[in-house]
Amino acid sequence: MGEAHGGGLVGMSLFMTRSEAEDLLFSEARALDERRFDDWLAMFADDAEYWVPAWKDETTPTSDPGSELSLIYYEGKQNLADRIWRLNSGLSNASEIPARVVHMIGNVIVESAQAGGAVILSAFNVHRYDPRTDRSHVFFGHYRHVFRQEEEQWLIAAKTITLLNDCIPTVADVYML
Amino acid sequence: MASPHELIDDRREEGVFRIHRGMFDDPHIFELEMRHIFEGGWVFLGLECQAANAHDYFTVNIGRVPALIQRGGDGVLRGFVNSCPHKGARIAHAACGHARQFVCPYHSWTFDSAGRNKGIKWKQGGCYTPGFDNDSHDLAPLPAFGSYRGFVFGSVSADVPPLAEWLGEAAKLLDLVADQSDEGVELVPGSVTFTYEGNWKLQLENCSDNYHFTSAHPSYIRLLERRKAAEDAASNNFTSAMQSQRHWSGEDDEIVGGTFSFPHGHVLNFGVGSPTPVSPIYERLDWLTEKVGEAHRDWMFNMRNLTIFPNLQVAENAASQLRVIEPLGVNRTRMRTWCIGPKGESAAARRQRIRQYEDFYNPSGMATPDDTVAYEDCQRGFAGKVMPWLQGYQRGMATRGEGASPLADRIGLKPAWSIEGNSRLCDETVYQSYYREWARRMAGAWSA
Repeated sequence: MGEAHGGGLVGMSLFMTRSEAEDLLFSEARALDERRFDDWLAMFADDAEYWVPAWKDETTPTSDPGSELSLIYYEGKQNLADRIWRLNSGLSNASEIPARVVHMIGNVIVESAQAGGAVILSAFNVHRYDPRTDRSHVFFGHYRHVFRQEEEQWLIAAKTITLLNDCIPTVADVYML
Repeated sequence: MASPHELIDDRREEGVFRIHRGMFDDPHIFELEMRHIFEGGWVFLGLECQAANAHDYFTVNIGRVPALIQRGGDGVLRGFVNSCPHKGARIAHAACGHARQFVCPYHSWTFDSAGRNKGIKWKQGGCYTPGFDNDSHDLAPLPAFGSYRGFVFGSVSADVPPLAEWLGEAAKLLDLVADQSDEGVELVPGSVTFTYEGNWKLQLENCSDNYHFTSAHPSYIRLLERRKAAEDAASNNFTSAMQSQRHWSGEDDEIVGGTFSFPHGHVLNFGVGSPTPVSPIYERLDWLTEKVGEAHRDWMFNMRNLTIFPNLQVAENAASQLRVIEPLGVNRTRMRTWCIGPKGESAAARRQRIRQYEDFYNPSGMATPDDTVAYEDCQRGFAGKVMPWLQGYQRGMATRGEGASPLADRIGLKPAWSIEGNSRLCDETVYQSYYREWARRMAGAWSA
């Protein structure tokens, strides 16, 4: 089992264990909670897919980002870097007094693990407190992470965030999901 | 309670138009708006393609009234109050679906897809008096219902002008959307809903607001510049129609945009663009030229923010959005939003359309939240009535011109009022059209 270190892990195994998966997910959560956005970005592969589906009706999230709407769909880490740039730019009214967030992640399951690759499922609550309006909200749903080994590190190759309460109070930015 | 003339200081001849802050935060006014505007006249309900086939349906709210829009077995689209005549329960619960009949889950009264009562449980044993059948047991039809080019409207008041008359010249602006394909317009699967803690008229105004763009969205504008500089392959999804347009920049002295107002509160805010490959309809440039002619084609590439008062907005700027405004309370509004596009679009153009949409719109996008957070700041600021009159309705007042404009003339459009100007004009008199219609509709509240 590895020890969290920067964006990756050292002493990693070839087949991801649940314990390793939890360390990675919790490290990612902590980086977002603490607004260490460079550390968060470092956890993603350059060609990472980042996807928050929208919903077609009460029971069905969208499943094809090419022909259906998503809340967010990015191919490439650069797009996440753009989001972080905006958060830090001082040019976005919605980002100016940042919300405080805590990501709670549980129900972690190794759905599949091959040599150098793994699919990890989990459930999340993100507690958001907006000091600007004195409002709290909880976003909740499921994560699906696809991890890939690159140069002795597990990197996020794809992350899907299925947001279950998708009637969104005003704003949902990447650090709140 | 404040009356309309205490909330709207409309002295056009003297060059004065002011709105009182109470317009946005008085709960009594909100109640009257529900009754006289949202439940007192035409509102937009949805697109016909949301119930494309026999027995398909969708549900919406008309003010506070739940409505069911369903296509019968005969292919006719109808609108009903979504409420059982027996005890009032809603009979349709999903946002959309397919049902040959609805059985009320409370006492099993049954209705077909044309709203007709097909069964009252144990009617024979019910010891009803003969007079019971003097009342219709069918679902209550909407007193006014109709569609134009696939855009469906309804009213829970019968006291409305015919739909065509109510839309008037603004219908031609819906044509610019519907004519982008032979098959009409459709909603991309997947809708996004969000709320903000502010009055519904903040959204109404913002759609027509050119003045805010460079102030509220500098992060988006700078991001477009960053992407252009990087020419990063991964960013190529996110070219924006705004990149090839200058009407918002404040840098041009020629005529680059303006506003049109029509009777019944419908307005357009536009910026002059030109056919560009970053627009998803560029692939059908030749087809459009042939189908609608150069003038209409060019107008399709203009930035256009259309409001059909009081609840429909079709925005074609950085991307194409259909939005419905649902007031929930004097200081709370729900927005239901979709990406719209022409049917039959290529997969590549559709993908580009969707990516541009998500980039700019959505409560998780990079422009919309900067607006909605500003609405919430306005709403809180409205509490301050030391200086009660807002000063945001007067830009353009000295240029006000009645009737058509050269740009409108190109497509035979006859606005009641038009303003054209350079990119720093940012006309605000366009909002006056909203409030004159508001005052007309609300007048009954005080005369009754």
